[in-house]
Amino acid sequence: MPSRCRPLLGTFVEVSADDERAIDAAFTAVETVHRLMSAHEPDSDVSRINRFAHVRPVKVHEWTRRVIERAFFWAKCSEGAFDVVRAGKAALLRGLLPRHADQPQPEAAAHWTWLEVQGGSVRLLKPACIDVGGIAKGFAVDRAVEVLREAGCESGLVNAGGDLRAFGRELLPVTIIHPLSRRQVIASHLKNEAMATSAGLPDDEGQLSFDHLGARNPRWVSISVVAPNACDADALTKAIWNAPRDAYALLAEVGARALALSRDGRVDALRETARVSA
Amino acid sequence: MSRSGASWFTILPAAAAAVTAAPVSATVYLTIQAAQQAMFPGASFTSHDLAFTPQQRSVIAKASGVGGFDKVQRVWDVRSGTSRIGWFIVDRVLGKHEMITYAVALTPDGAVKRVEILEYRETYGGEVRNPAWRQQFVGKRFGTPVQLGKDIRNISGATLSSRHVTDGIRRLLATYQLLLRNA
Repeated sequence: MPSRCRPLLGTFVEVSADDERAIDAAFTAVETVHRLMSAHEPDSDVSRINRFAHVRPVKVHEWTRRVIERAFFWAKCSEGAFDVVRAGKAALLRGLLPRHADQPQPEAAAHWTWLEVQGGSVRLLKPACIDVGGIAKGFAVDRAVEVLREAGCESGLVNAGGDLRAFGRELLPVTIIHPLSRRQVIASHLKNEAMATSAGLPDDEGQLSFDHLGARNPRWVSISVVAPNACDADALTKAIWNAPRDAYALLAEVGARALALSRDGRVDALRETARVSA
Repeated sequence: MSRSGASWFTILPAAAAAVTAAPVSATVYLTIQAAQQAMFPGASFTSHDLAFTPQQRSVIAKASGVGGFDKVQRVWDVRSGTSRIGWFIVDRVLGKHEMITYAVALTPDGAVKRVEILEYRETYGGEVRNPAWRQQFVGKRFGTPVQLGKDIRNISGATLSSRHVTDGIRRLLATYQLLLRNA
């Protein structure tokens, strides 16, 4: 099966399918998500929200609306453990996102309940900043898979730097590596499913940092979520870092399961049925 | 909490993993010829390799902020009939864990038309990500920002490789500006 790889979404996006035209179209869908939801391009939907949505409703593309509605859903389910508004403020403070000339400083208390979707428009109740990076990459993978399926491909794979989704009859083997040693530690497989992983990042001293996940001294070093779609897998893998006690309930919302690698090398398999039968 | 014993995953023993981690794995996405046909269908390609003088290298490094590149840059002049329709460049960058060979298609006036990874060779395997989505190459030219911005703390070793591609493209745009623009 042909595979193509392009640098997009701040990573390498790999698309595999039996139809090269469909692969091209799938990349176009990923590029569209990038264009709409990058906070770096001043006229993207996300940048326009960050610049103006505290003053007036900002009309957005249907895909942006869907991502924000899903982000809102996961914020509500996780009681803010997944929060694109707090993530935006944190990313701005850490210098990961630019603040455009006419973009306000987010208020200190900014969080997800300030976000409102009305029809095709998005509002922020007060000055705030959103970052949908924690969910839009998965959404992009889902759109690419949709394009491949609509083109008639019977099987395929889209992988955006570890946020991946496979479809078709075959089992796709996947390997999870340790974020520090990069050693392969868990083998699993996917069938018509998505997997997303988030993990600590090694710093210059060879220690894992979890600042980008907003997690302090977590018990795990890496969490991989398997879900029916990549958008939910992506959001869940972030939410669990900050809501470890509610992990089962969160996963159960969409029939997902997770593999979490602890600091001492243990693997915790998380799924709702495991708790029920225990 | 259920731990291990589940059938949908396997914990890999350290010894076995050490064996599988040793060989270098390479993924080839496209050959040069296939990338040429994908990026400029039906066009003709004339090799126009650039052997840099030390002075040219220093000018390019200064203009792009990126040093350290191959002695010869593989470039093709792309034509449809007699008229130029763009440039096709093959480049490679080295990351901490990997070597990436990629192709860039430029329009005749030096804007990025498309970027394709040709080969990704990794020493360990694993994901590559940058949480901040900095790269958006299509349409960029020499002088427009094609950079990650200020240094970001907590960049993983893996992230560096996507940054190296960004740096590589910035260097190629400077190369275009110096050596191809009036060619």
